[in-house]
Amino acid sequence: MTTYIVTGLVVGSVYAIATLGLVLTYASTRIFNFAHGMLAFFLGVTFYELVVDHGWDERAAGLVTVFVVAPLLGVFLWAVLFRSLADTPPSVRLVSTIGLFVAVPALTKVIYGHEQRDFERPSVVFSPPHQYRWLDVPIDSDQVAILSAAIVVAILMTVVIRFTPFGLAVRATVDAPRMAGIVGFNTALVNAGAWVIGMMLAGVAGVLLGTYRGFNEVQFTFLVLGSFAAVVIARMHSLPLAFGGSLLLGLAQELSKSRQVQDALYDVIDRDSSWSVVVNNFPACIPFVVMIVFLLAYRGLGRERFSVDTRAAAEPELHATDERHLPLWRRLLPIAVLLTGVLLAPVYLSGLWQSIVAKGLALAIIFLSITIVTGEGGMISLAQITFAGVAAAITADFATNKGMDVLLAIPLAALIVVPIGMVAALPSLRLGDLYLGLATLAFALLVQYTYFNVPSVRNFDDGVRVPRPQGFGEDTPFFYLLAALFVVVALVVRNIKRSTTGLNLSAMRTSETATATLGISIVWSKLAAFAISAFVAGIGGGLYATYGRVADPDQYNVLIGVVWLAVVVTWGVRSIAGALLAGLAFAVFPQLVAEHLTGDGWQELPTILFGLGAIGLARDPQGVVHQVVYGHRDRRRKREARRRARQVEAVAAT
Amino acid sequence: MNDAPALLDARDVTVRFGGLVALDGVSLGVPEGAIVGLIGPNGAGKTTMFGVLSGLVRPRTGTVHLAGHDVTGASPQRRARLGLARTFQRLELFEELTVREHLVVAYRVGRRHPAVRLALDLVGLGSRPLPGEDDTIDGILELLGLTRIAPVPAATVPLGTGRLVEIARALATRPRVLLLDEPSSGLDANETAALAGVLATLRRERGISLVLVEHNVEMVLGLADIVTVLDFGRPIAHGTPGQVRTDPAVQAAYLGTTS
Repeated sequence: MTTYIVTGLVVGSVYAIATLGLVLTYASTRIFNFAHGMLAFFLGVTFYELVVDHGWDERAAGLVTVFVVAPLLGVFLWAVLFRSLADTPPSVRLVSTIGLFVAVPALTKVIYGHEQRDFERPSVVFSPPHQYRWLDVPIDSDQVAILSAAIVVAILMTVVIRFTPFGLAVRATVDAPRMAGIVGFNTALVNAGAWVIGMMLAGVAGVLLGTYRGFNEVQFTFLVLGSFAAVVIARMHSLPLAFGGSLLLGLAQELSKSRQVQDALYDVIDRDSSWSVVVNNFPACIPFVVMIVFLLAYRGLGRERFSVDTRAAAEPELHATDERHLPLWRRLLPIAVLLTGVLLAPVYLSGLWQSIVAKGLALAIIFLSITIVTGEGGMISLAQITFAGVAAAITADFATNKGMDVLLAIPLAALIVVPIGMVAALPSLRLGDLYLGLATLAFALLVQYTYFNVPSVRNFDDGVRVPRPQGFGEDTPFFYLLAALFVVVALVVRNIKRSTTGLNLSAMRTSETATATLGISIVWSKLAAFAISAFVAGIGGGLYATYGRVADPDQYNVLIGVVWLAVVVTWGVRSIAGALLAGLAFAVFPQLVAEHLTGDGWQELPTILFGLGAIGLARDPQGVVHQVVYGHRDRRRKREARRRARQVEAVAAT
Repeated sequence: MNDAPALLDARDVTVRFGGLVALDGVSLGVPEGAIVGLIGPNGAGKTTMFGVLSGLVRPRTGTVHLAGHDVTGASPQRRARLGLARTFQRLELFEELTVREHLVVAYRVGRRHPAVRLALDLVGLGSRPLPGEDDTIDGILELLGLTRIAPVPAATVPLGTGRLVEIARALATRPRVLLLDEPSSGLDANETAALAGVLATLRRERGISLVLVEHNVEMVLGLADIVTVLDFGRPIAHGTPGQVRTDPAVQAAYLGTTS
C-alpha cells in the first residue's frame, strides 16, 4: 500500500507540473491548450533523442530541453498560432489547439522516427537509478527527483505569481482580460511569457514522465487525461487547486492498482464476468469519474463560479453559410454534379476505389453527427467516435452472435447509443465548450478502456465480424447502398437545420440568455441535438464496420476521433458538403499516400495536414467549403466595406 | 396601494453581489393592463430588478409572484410560459436568424410537445408554419413597422431597429407582462416618440402589462400609470407620475442636492 502511495505522489507530481503549465497559460491567455500533454511528449522525446541518438550527457540534455528547446517552442507557438487566436471565438480557439494535438505526435514521429522508446530510459539523475529506503518504503532516485521537482516548481510558481510584475499582470488578466490590456499591461509580452513558462513546465513534465514511465504515447495520453481532470478540479484558473487535484488524481490512479482496492472492486464486479476488465483498467477510468464528481459538485455552487469565457468575439462562431442567398442554379449545380458522379462511379472507379469511396461515405455519415452537435448545436464533442464504435460493437453482436439481419441491427444499435450519448453530455451541458469537450473526451476514454476491452467485444484483438447486408456484399452494390444511405441521413440533417429545432439551436448559439427568456429549454435543446447526433453516429459506425466486415474497437480509438473532429471542422462543420468532403478526404487521402508516396514518415502526412487544417481554422473559422463557395463574395464585401469606410473618413476629414 | 392582486408582484427583494447590496427591500406590483415605470440614476439597481423578475438573478430574500404562482426560484423558461417576456438593454439578438425568424422561434415556444415537434422536424415537416402563425407574426411586424426588413438577417440591423426586433420577438410569445429594459436608448427623438405610441397601443389593444426601465424619465412619466424610483438599490419614491415628479427625494437623487 505504501509503495502505491509513493508512486501515486510521484505520478501526481508529474501531472501537477504539467497541469500548472496548462492552467497558467489558460488563465493568462484564455486559450486552452488541448495539445499541452502532446507538446510534453514532443519535448520528452527530444530529450530522449539527444541522449540516446546523439550521445549527450543526460543532465545537459535535460537542461537544454527545458531551458532552450521548450522556451523556443513556446515563443514559436505564440508567434505563429496563439497570438492570432486571441480574438477568435472560444470554440475556434479550442478546435485550433485540438488540431495541434493531432499534428504534434505525428510530427514527432516524422522528426524523430517511429522507434519504440520503452527499453532505454535515460534519467536526469542517476542511471540506473539509485535505490533508497525511507521509513521502510523503497524509493529510487528518479522518484525523489520528480517529487523535488514538483516542490521546486510549486515554490517558484508561487514566487512568480505573488511577487513579480509578471505575476501581477497574470493575476490581473485572470480577473479581467480586457481591462488588463486597457490599464496598460503589455498583454503581448505577458502572453508570450506565459507560453514560455507553460512550455518549460511541459518540458519538465515530459522529461520526468518519460524517464519514469517510458517515452511512449500511451503514458502521455494518461498525462493528458490526468491534467484535464485536474484542470476541472481547478475550475480552469486556480493554481493551488490544480496542484492538489493533480496529486489527488495520481494517488487515486496508483492506489486503484493496489490489491486492497482491486479486491474491493472484485467484490462488486464478478471476477469471471466479461466486465472484470473494468478492474484492470480502473486507473484509466478515474479521470472521468473525478471530472463528473467535481462538475456535479461545482454545479451546486452556481454557474458563475466557473470562469466561463465571456470575451465573445464579434464574428459569429463557425458561421452559418446561408444557402438561401444563392441563386437556384448555384444550389442545384453541386447536387447535380454529385449525383452524376455517383451514378457513373463504377465506370471510372475500380472495385477497390469504389470500396474506398464507400468507406468515405460511411465516415461522412458519422461526420454528419458532428455537423449536428458542433455545427448546429454549437457544442464540442469528442465522443462521437465512441458512439459510432459502441454501435458498431452492438451491431456485430446482434448480426453475428444473434443472427439478426444487419440492416435491422444497425438502426437498433444506433437507438441503443442514444441514451449513452445523453448520459455523456448531461453533466457538462451548460458549462460551455471547454468543459463539454473535456468531459466527452474523458467519457470516450472511459468507454475505450472498459467496454472496448470486454473480451466479447475485443475478440482477441480481431473484433467481431459484421457481415455486409444481404445482396450488397460486392463493391459496386455496397457503394450504391452507402451513397443512398448518405443521402437519407443528409436529408434528415437538412430537415433539422431548417426546422423549429434548427431555429432554436441557432438562436441558442448566439444568445442563450434570450433563448431562455423566451421559454425554450436550453438543456432540452442541447440534449436533443446530442441524442440525434448519437443516433447518426451510431448509424455511421455500424455502416463503417460493414465496410471492413468487422467491428474492431481499435478503429474507434478516441485519438482517431480527435482527428475526425479536426478534419470535419477543416472542411466546414456547418455544411453537409463539409461532412461529405471530410469523409471522402479521410478515406481517399491516406490511400493515395499509401499508393504513391512510399517511404518513412509519409504515412503521417494525412494526419499532419488534417491537424494543420484545424489549426488554420483560426484564419477562416468557416471551413474550406465555405471558402470555396463564398470566398469571392466575402472578399468583395470586405472590399466594399473598406471603400465605404474610406469615404466616411474622407467626408469626416473635410 | 392597489387592492386587486397584481399580475406580477415582487416583494421585499434583496440582492447582494459579494459585499455590494444591489437591491435592498424593493417591492414592485404590476396590475393587469398597467404600465409601470422603474427609474433611477445609473447603478440604482433597475437592470438587476429586471433580472430578478425574469429569473436570471436569484434574490437573497423576497418573493416574486406571477399570475398567482410563486416563481421566486423558477427558471426563466417557466416564467416565460406563465406569460412573462422581456427585452434586453444590451441587445441579445439571434445574429444568424432573420428578423422574421426571431418571431417564428418565439411564436412556436410551447406550441407543441417537444417530442412531437422533434419527430416532425426529423421527417421534414418542422419548417411549416403553424396555423395562425403567419397572421400573428405579420400583425406584430406591421405594428412595429418591421414588415419591410422581415427577411433581413438580424446581425445587420441598426441598434434602434434591433430594439424593435427585441420587442417584436417578445410579443410573439403572446406575453401578459412585458419587461422593457431601456427601450429608448439608442433611439433619436422621433423614434422615441414612435416607440411611446407603440407601447401605448400595446396596452390599449392587447391589454399587455408593461414594465419600463428607462433613462428617459420624461418618456416614463408620460406613459406610466405608476412609477417606482430606485436609488442605490433602495426604493425612494412610489406613486403616480405627478406625485413622483414633485417628490423631493427624487429631485435630490437626480440633481444630486441634499434634501
